[in-house]
Amino acid sequence: MKSKRFEALDARPVNKDGFVTEWPEVGLIAMNGPNDPQPSIRIQNGKVVELDGKSRDEFDMIDTFIADYGIKLDNAEAVNAMDSLELARKLVDINVPRAEVVKLTTAMTPAKICEVIGKMTVLEMMMSVTKMRARKSPANQAHVTNLKDNPVQIAADAAEASLRGFAELETTVGIARYAPFNAIALMVGAQVGRPGILTQCAVEEATELNLGMRGFTAYAETVSVYGTEPVFMDGDDTPWSKAFLASCYASRGLKMRFTSGTGSEVQMGYAEGKSMLYLEARCLYITKAAGSQGIQNGSVSCVGVPAAVPGGIRAILAENLIATALDLECASSNDQTFTHSDLRRVARSLMQFVPGTDFICSGYSATPNYDNMFAGSNWDADDYDDWIIIQRDLKVDGGLVPVLEEDVTRVRNKAAKVIQAVFRELGLTEISDEEVEAATYARGSQDMPNRNVVEDIKAAEDLLKRGLTGVDIVKALAKSGFEDVATSVYGMLRQRVAGDYLHTSAILTDKFEVISAVNQPNDYNGPQTGYQISDEKWEQLKTIRQAISPENV
Amino acid sequence: MDEKTLRNIIEEVMKEFGAGSGGGTATAVMTAPSVSSASGTLKISEAAPAERGTNPREVVIALAPGFGGRMTSTITGVDHGEVLREVCAGIEEQGLTYRFIRVFRTADVGFIAHEAAKLSGSGIGIGIQSRGTTVIHQKDLPPLSNLELFSQAPLIDLETFRAIGENAAKYAKSESPSPVPVRNDQMARPRYQAIAALWHIKETQLCDPNKKTATLRVEYR
Repeated sequence: MKSKRFEALDARPVNKDGFVTEWPEVGLIAMNGPNDPQPSIRIQNGKVVELDGKSRDEFDMIDTFIADYGIKLDNAEAVNAMDSLELARKLVDINVPRAEVVKLTTAMTPAKICEVIGKMTVLEMMMSVTKMRARKSPANQAHVTNLKDNPVQIAADAAEASLRGFAELETTVGIARYAPFNAIALMVGAQVGRPGILTQCAVEEATELNLGMRGFTAYAETVSVYGTEPVFMDGDDTPWSKAFLASCYASRGLKMRFTSGTGSEVQMGYAEGKSMLYLEARCLYITKAAGSQGIQNGSVSCVGVPAAVPGGIRAILAENLIATALDLECASSNDQTFTHSDLRRVARSLMQFVPGTDFICSGYSATPNYDNMFAGSNWDADDYDDWIIIQRDLKVDGGLVPVLEEDVTRVRNKAAKVIQAVFRELGLTEISDEEVEAATYARGSQDMPNRNVVEDIKAAEDLLKRGLTGVDIVKALAKSGFEDVATSVYGMLRQRVAGDYLHTSAILTDKFEVISAVNQPNDYNGPQTGYQISDEKWEQLKTIRQAISPENV
Repeated sequence: MDEKTLRNIIEEVMKEFGAGSGGGTATAVMTAPSVSSASGTLKISEAAPAERGTNPREVVIALAPGFGGRMTSTITGVDHGEVLREVCAGIEEQGLTYRFIRVFRTADVGFIAHEAAKLSGSGIGIGIQSRGTTVIHQKDLPPLSNLELFSQAPLIDLETFRAIGENAAKYAKSESPSPVPVRNDQMARPRYQAIAALWHIKETQLCDPNKKTATLRVEYR
């Protein structure tokens, strides 16, 4: 006979998730794998001759890249000889300042930092993230995409997301050739919602760079690095080619960060029997070595893999912590769906939500998940009120603010009208008044009329051929009477000439002032230090439309 | 009569029916027997190293190392023989021909599809992984770009595979078809990603970086 209790348990959402047992021989293990190397480093004449149990003649290209550029060698032998438990305690201890910890962590080898972090509980790791995050104030990032690649909806959703408090917005495409439309609609819509929002369009690397150089995006994020040689080679890449790409962005004054995450190597079938966290640590040292200011990590699109093995969610927090400890900007994932269980998805996010990271989600879906073209986010537009109320419950600034319906419909309507005008001025496809109306009130693309996809794609390809740039968009905005939006888009273009936002963890205020780890470094050293929610901010966070006040009774 | 016997009889009848009608219509466009109307179990064998085609009316279909060999169905259990039947039927409907190759050096579907496109007389190729992930590619695009990408293997049903064949053929004819509607299920990852990883580990274990792409003979017996 079947137990009724087990029948009920089997029907719970969590039991729709996929779980697998560990298989360390192929790398299906979260951290502290039995085949992970023992930490070691030997330096002769200023050159690393042994790294994590391998002598230089046994190095693969990743070892070479990390040994030559990724580790601060002055103190490396001494730091790596220190007791890992003592180092773990320093990472947590509020009396050891961040700057002192960074001197230690940047001198460690990948295997050493894994051994150190492996000594910590998730609570200790969270304490450490609070201290080690590069920028003092936390922030958040949103995904703005839809199933139909509808540019009017992208503009409206971008405006709403900006109004709701996201500092960065990311789009991608269902159909690759839509990329220029998505990038332009996102940038213009974001500036309607709040001046100074950074936007990106995640597509194939050459296209992404092209869009950035034209001024259709303000930063790039999807420059992926991997922890084993064959996975790099599967993408026709090396650490050097990624470093070259990073410098391409820098040369044009564009912010960029790398992307990596636990589980990617095992997912691609080339983990070489190493644990997911050890391979991710190698990615983070590659990132540091290539001179990237930051990383998006936390398993990201591979989250289903670590989440399926024991300790996987702990490993994800551990990789975020390593990123912050290496003094990198950390956009800490919490993006892609990994579970059917609402309980599991909140528990996973608290690991970054409570300590705060540079971008807690990277990103939070600004549409319902059916429109999320990153295959769904852990948080979506239907969860906005839950997020805001959890902020209020815990007095945590998770990067969002409560908003009113009339303000949302106002900015959505304006963004839709603005993109309509830009398309008209640039001679792209027509955006009808009916579409503007639909985008104003839409929940998602199911509420949007269909567009002529073939005509859109032709116009998108044509605008690239015509050589249009961000300046043409500024002109189109000014010509159609949207002076304020023209000024904002122009303000974004000016950033890449000044270059201040290339500093670690940079975001912009609505006055285009840069907030980064340079002018606002994290100085947490215990209670009442570091980022504190101001009275004004708390007033804003606690004022939710649902609360009934005594005067109303 | 039990179910199995009944099934055998139906299959026999279908086989005769399929062979009769398929042979008649397919020979008009192709010399090889038509995959779309063939019946029986998929049987793939390697022939000569693959060469660049000259026929502007062909679409090249590239299979990942395990497809239809060590692996026989997609991640949701769709038979690989059925998959190829539908893709080919889609191409035939547009009056074009197809050719099969297998890529050994990688299990990355972007590169597999790009290899197909580079060897295709029309410059259009399709790449299919064992788990079902599929890309339509064009030879002059960067390898990691594509014309159409179907990244969520569990969501690709036979109808979609047929539409993929049709669209690839339309691109080959220099038309601009409406892309096959992209399906999205945010719960595919929670359910399938770790299993998909196991799948892909097995497929990459079948890769041989030194082995040249081969022409394939695709038969149903």
